[in-house]
Amino acid sequence: MFDALFELLFKYRPLVFDQGDFVFASPWSYLLLVAVLGAGAAVTLATYAQARGKSTPLDRGVLSALRVAALTVVVFCLFRPVLVLSSIVPQQNFLGVLIDDSRSMEIADRDDEPRRAFVDASFGTEESALRAALADRFALRFFRFSSATERLTDLGELGYAGLRTDLGQALDRARDELTGVPLSGLVVISDGADNSESVLTESLRGLGADGVPVYTVGLGREAFDRDIQLSRVETPPSVLQGTSMVVDVVIGQVGYAGDAITLQIEDEGRIVSTEAVTLPANGEAATARVRFTATEPGPRIFRFSVPPKVGEMVTQNNVRDVLVVVEDRREKILYFEGEPRFEVKFIRRAVADDENLQVVVLQRTADNKYLRLDVDDADDLLGGFPKTREELFQYRGLILGSVEANYFTPDQLRMIADFVNQRGGGFLMLGGRSAFAEGGYAGTPIADILPVVMDEPTLVDGEPVFIELMVSPTRAGETHAAMQVADTEEESGERWKNLPAVSSLNPISEIKPGATTLLTGTGAGGSDERIVLAFQRYGAGKTLAMPIQDSWMWQMHADIEPDDLTHELFWRRLLRWLVDGVPDQVVASVRRDRVEPDEPVELLTEVVDGAYLEMNNSRVNAEVTSPSGGFVEVELDWTTERDGEYEGLLTPSEEGLYEIRVEATSDDELVGSDMAYVFAAASDDEFFDSAMRAPLLRRIADETGGQFYTVDTVASLPEDIAYAGAGVTVVEELELWDMPALLFLLLALVGGEWGYRRLRGLA
Amino acid sequence: MARSTGIRHRNAPGDCGTLPPYASSWSLPLRPFIRHRVALAVGIVVAGLWLGEALLHGQRVDVDVRIAPPAGAQPVRTRADATLEYPVGPWEFYFTRAIYSGYGRGRRWGSRWATDYPKADLQFISILQRVTRLGVYDRENAIRLDDPNLRRFPFLYALEVGSMAMTEEEVAGLRAYLDAGGFLLVDDFWGTWEWQNFEMEIRRVLPEYPIVDVPVDHPVFSTVYEINEVLQVPAVNNAVYGGRTWEQDGYVPETRAIFDDDGRMMVMINWNTDLGDAWEWADNPYYPLKFSTYAFQMGVNYIVYAMTH
Repeated sequence: MFDALFELLFKYRPLVFDQGDFVFASPWSYLLLVAVLGAGAAVTLATYAQARGKSTPLDRGVLSALRVAALTVVVFCLFRPVLVLSSIVPQQNFLGVLIDDSRSMEIADRDDEPRRAFVDASFGTEESALRAALADRFALRFFRFSSATERLTDLGELGYAGLRTDLGQALDRARDELTGVPLSGLVVISDGADNSESVLTESLRGLGADGVPVYTVGLGREAFDRDIQLSRVETPPSVLQGTSMVVDVVIGQVGYAGDAITLQIEDEGRIVSTEAVTLPANGEAATARVRFTATEPGPRIFRFSVPPKVGEMVTQNNVRDVLVVVEDRREKILYFEGEPRFEVKFIRRAVADDENLQVVVLQRTADNKYLRLDVDDADDLLGGFPKTREELFQYRGLILGSVEANYFTPDQLRMIADFVNQRGGGFLMLGGRSAFAEGGYAGTPIADILPVVMDEPTLVDGEPVFIELMVSPTRAGETHAAMQVADTEEESGERWKNLPAVSSLNPISEIKPGATTLLTGTGAGGSDERIVLAFQRYGAGKTLAMPIQDSWMWQMHADIEPDDLTHELFWRRLLRWLVDGVPDQVVASVRRDRVEPDEPVELLTEVVDGAYLEMNNSRVNAEVTSPSGGFVEVELDWTTERDGEYEGLLTPSEEGLYEIRVEATSDDELVGSDMAYVFAAASDDEFFDSAMRAPLLRRIADETGGQFYTVDTVASLPEDIAYAGAGVTVVEELELWDMPALLFLLLALVGGEWGYRRLRGLA
Repeated sequence: MARSTGIRHRNAPGDCGTLPPYASSWSLPLRPFIRHRVALAVGIVVAGLWLGEALLHGQRVDVDVRIAPPAGAQPVRTRADATLEYPVGPWEFYFTRAIYSGYGRGRRWGSRWATDYPKADLQFISILQRVTRLGVYDRENAIRLDDPNLRRFPFLYALEVGSMAMTEEEVAGLRAYLDAGGFLLVDDFWGTWEWQNFEMEIRRVLPEYPIVDVPVDHPVFSTVYEINEVLQVPAVNNAVYGGRTWEQDGYVPETRAIFDDDGRMMVMINWNTDLGDAWEWADNPYYPLKFSTYAFQMGVNYIVYAMTH
């Protein structure tokens, strides 16, 4: 509207004034013109000075001023004002037109028409208005882009089936293709819903340096009226079989405030959980916490969905598929107990039915006398606690019970710290008369890795102080997956409240910065608040401190039914969490676990030796099995950027699940192997956050010297590009003397003089 | 009297549930009867007298014993929130003796749970403190089977169970204790008659689980000390005076157990042997060292096994 009014008055649009230089191009001498103006002014003043009549001095002044102003306008026109600017030479310049070919172009959010309708109408045929206007001035080169970019010879090739929008890659590719030709700019026609991981900054900086302006045309609406979207689902990449997962799901919505919806989770067609959610105020997101158990081993596609509501503009974003690898293996945990304790019996009993946990017990029964349980080999741990890193690092978790620090050599203490820091293992210290400060751990490497602050040992008459504690979860504990001892968070909270007291000999009440307390305990009457369970990440692993000595009370106390499973649930979940994410010697991963067919994906592998030191001289090979059973080998090379990291490229060509078995060898000896998975299939990613992103498109235009348009303003695009000055141009002068605004001004001044005289009765 | 224990049933914890119940294989103890007819006759007479006593005068004596809070080392505290007081403190292990109801009259019959009490307990505790790293409470601890606080003590010792006659509350209490994870060590009862009484009583508690033999290669015999043969530990009089080691018709010491469905040992039974007397009289210079040593070693094995399995 503003632009149209401006063009009506000033003959050209504001952009032309921005681009051009204003000059006077009069063939006559400026002095002559000034003299003419001066003479005219003098005649005017003299005339009004003589013809006094009924006029007052004020009247004569006003009338003189109006007359002189009118003369000035005329003289201004005689100066011949022009705009000097560069304009392209028709058909001498190229223009790249990049058309979004992704699935989001099918969204019908504008007058019930899909976004691609604009492309069909404006570029569908050579006679289409916008295309014709551009073609008059430029040699057009069309590109389509989604996750990849390619030249278009026929716009009928647009299928709007791309699974990703990658603007940075599209701009780079188009610039490369048009290198060496006179280029007036790039036109990007898109909704701007970029969902790639690439960063635009570099692309825009390159275009700016080359002087290639980018004109962006935004399609679709910036906000939907009514929509529900599963904005985020956060699941771990892999879990142990049988793990009870607690997953946060963020549900975005507009237009459905207060509505009740049901979130459903399916494990490849089988419903494993549902959660009722009441949507919050308009525009606010709801966070639902759902829990389900990964029962089936292997790579599993979990589907999170919300049924479509009436009136939703986009329904494809109500569903999210997540790939989770459910590992069916036994996680080996070493539990070293310095004295016979019932914790051993009840922890073993709690996890006895868990086929994915192997708790190897080393119990010192007397000095230099050990009881070994559930060892793999008759020689395992024969000499007591491991003395080498290779021996200790074969375990993924380590529990220390009541064993004094003096038992260990300084190297063994450092080795335990390295087990967490370097190997990435999970470490848990249990309470007891020879644990924590009471066991002499203050000032040792183990004190450094623990999440709690240890003071000097608290002893009375040489004995530790005994206290019974009622345990309750903190806010972090209430929501933590490992602390769930019932089916729902509410029931779990109630269960914790009703569990019997446990006892402690290790008064710990402070955690380190960065640590998290999950369980606290209070003595009789609410006194003596103590830490019962705290954890922190440390180096590559995590450490837990649990300074109580008889969690078996949660099984044996008279208030607990004999068949109650609270104790079992607690220990199974705690130990599964302890070893969750603990790496092996070879760890294979993919940059993205879901791609579209023919989209390359990077394979990454980290390789360490038995002491978990990075290996750069391994031979790393990936055996890839395609969904149809085809077999491909990919060799991975050391990246040279990070020690022990190897990289390779895989391009899945079929739809379905690709299994990748990575094997690392060194000197013809196997270091280790690991599995990774890639799911190649069409996804609905394009429908998430799919409203038109004007700020991004505007940024692209601003940073490259182009301009942002909408469907309503795009008509001026050809002319704007013509005057942008990029490509092969000629200097053009645009006359301004005939601007309607000058005529209106002149008429207003002359008419004003006449009207004033009539008003004052002077004429 | 000692014997090498042959394996009558392969009895690893994992497969014990498939073994036949003891009732189907109890013919072996009859052999001494056939060989020793005199002993058989004496046994019949004794049994008849005992039965007559029970019928004419016998009554079940429900225990009503209050154990004074042990005056142990500080900082022990005691609780009185149940029927009995019990010790609470920093110790990991309390050597706990079961108080149960039994047949008979007078002090002798009604108090058979307390045989050797507390001297055997205290002497065994002192050995535990010396030879293991166990944090053991240094006083005796006896508790009734129907006391809800029984479950605070996952190891339980019961002896002279030949006269056991539990009340329904005691049966329920012991059942809950064993189901929850408790371990019962049974000792010092002899001969067929006492076995049958104990078997009847334990069947009231655990009717669905068989009683199976525990061969000497079972892990319980090597938890701490390697035991290669099961000894018959005699009562003090027999041991000191060098006479027979058996009592009644209990000529052969037997080690039997009851396992749950998961193969966990719930009840360990020492029949025709008396570990408790060996603990009690270990300080008697005339009590044979081999019996007291064996009794202490097996006691340690049982406790460590119970604390780990």
